[in-house]
Amino acid sequence: MYCITTKNLSYRFNGQDTVLSDIELAVPKGAIYGFLGPNGAGKTTTLRLLLGLLKKQTGSIQFFEQDFEGNRLSILRKTGSLIEAPSIYAHLSASENLALLQKIYRCDKNRIDEVLKLVGLEHTGKKSAGKFSLGMKQRLSIAIALMHEPELLILDEPTNGLDPNGIIEIRELLKKLNQEQGLTILISSHLLAEIEKMVTHVGIINKGKLIFQGTMQSLHEAQQQQSVIYFETNNLPATKNILQAAGLHAVEYEKGLSIQLAEPAKVALANTQLVEQGIAVYQISVIKNDLESIFMDLIK
Amino acid sequence: MQLINSIQSEWLKTRKSAGSWLSLVGGLFIPIIFLIGFIYNHKTLSTYGEATNLWTAHFFQVWQSMVVFLLPMGLILATSLITQMEFRNNTWKQLHTTPQKYSTIFTAKFIVIIGLTLQFFIYFNIAFILSGIVPSLIFDKQLPNSTFPFKDLLMNNGKILITCLPVLAFQFLISLRFKNFLVPIGVGLMFLVTTLILIGSWEHAYLSPFSYSPLTIMGSPEMMSRVNIYFWSLGYFVVFTLISYVMYINRSEKG
Repeated sequence: MYCITTKNLSYRFNGQDTVLSDIELAVPKGAIYGFLGPNGAGKTTTLRLLLGLLKKQTGSIQFFEQDFEGNRLSILRKTGSLIEAPSIYAHLSASENLALLQKIYRCDKNRIDEVLKLVGLEHTGKKSAGKFSLGMKQRLSIAIALMHEPELLILDEPTNGLDPNGIIEIRELLKKLNQEQGLTILISSHLLAEIEKMVTHVGIINKGKLIFQGTMQSLHEAQQQQSVIYFETNNLPATKNILQAAGLHAVEYEKGLSIQLAEPAKVALANTQLVEQGIAVYQISVIKNDLESIFMDLIK
Repeated sequence: MQLINSIQSEWLKTRKSAGSWLSLVGGLFIPIIFLIGFIYNHKTLSTYGEATNLWTAHFFQVWQSMVVFLLPMGLILATSLITQMEFRNNTWKQLHTTPQKYSTIFTAKFIVIIGLTLQFFIYFNIAFILSGIVPSLIFDKQLPNSTFPFKDLLMNNGKILITCLPVLAFQFLISLRFKNFLVPIGVGLMFLVTTLILIGSWEHAYLSPFSYSPLTIMGSPEMMSRVNIYFWSLGYFVVFTLISYVMYINRSEKG
């Protein structure tokens, strides 16, 4: 079952080029779905469209297998969100900010203290939220999104502006909510490294197009396929001949040669042959083997 | 039921807000100035001498100082401050992702702004009554020697409140439309000042939605007999409210 699916979702701002083109998101229930893309790729526009903050132009949006149009209220009752910068009333305290929502959602008053504790803001007392640090504001925004115990959480770059410790805290909190309460989380970021340890699924958007979507496992497989082994020796022509004789297609790369990732035994054999032919091997290394490189390749 | 919850939520937002303080200070300001004046000059309501009812005379004296400029100015500021709270705090997107109908959000916001205006009237009347009672208690050791015209004062309060409605609705409209706080304040002030100039020189000044509170004091008997300013006030109020509603509902970007 999917918590969110979109079909042919496209959008353009007045008189401008298309910002989103045929986005087909599929966020499975129980997943932590990382929605990745560089700044300006269309992540926030997609999330604003999903939540009805922008008027849909073409395509369809479904939440919990129901059309968003016509079921907006029942869907929003099960969805918590944080879009871009913190959205809080600066003249009110943390608990007053939550009390506003407690009235709307008609949830138990004790829930205010519960969520404040959950995000570590239980000791802020009467201090107005405008005096909070950015990290505290961000955590209050997450508390707001969690106030009504949603089934789905949509977070747009929730760790923006946080220090490394704050990022780890938020990551741990989201993992805990996902594992303990089964909350489905759609989280956007422009940094793969920031969320790769947390997400189960990933969608990569660039220039308004969804260029990859799948599990983290499938991204890792793509990573394996795209990895390259780099050879640097004192005699490149001879090295190339030896590698090709061993069935490895070598091409020039920077100061040496590169081959597509091969079985370790073949690489070891090629190395032995190079040494036996009196070639000095300076370096054999795996390059482009991190997810960030794959991500960068995809968004080029 | 949802509307009541939304109104409660909107009302909570006004706590400690500039708009709420303005309603308090604005309501108390002029009556307290009168109170200080009475005490300083050792006077009481009897200073109005031959007036049929001392309280009524005092009421019009105090209101006179309010309705021409301070009241419309206060309405412009308070309505803009409260409505613009969502822009200022970047909270439209949060509000629009709560499970509330857009019509409920709109209605709750507008009711709260009218509620704040009522609160201003309540503060004003409490301070007004105190400004009459306290000097009499201090200097005459008794309550003012005049029946309190409860019904008349309630009627007059109601009439002045009606004249406030077009300003409220207009400022609400402009404040919902423009993100920049200076726009509603600037437009409101410009209209108010222009209206005040026109009232003295143009027989059709009543066409301005900002004219009705000042006209209660400044309107010539001829104009006041010819024009029902309360009818015009309610008409503008309905028109501006409908325009704001249509604009709000059809906004393509809701946060």
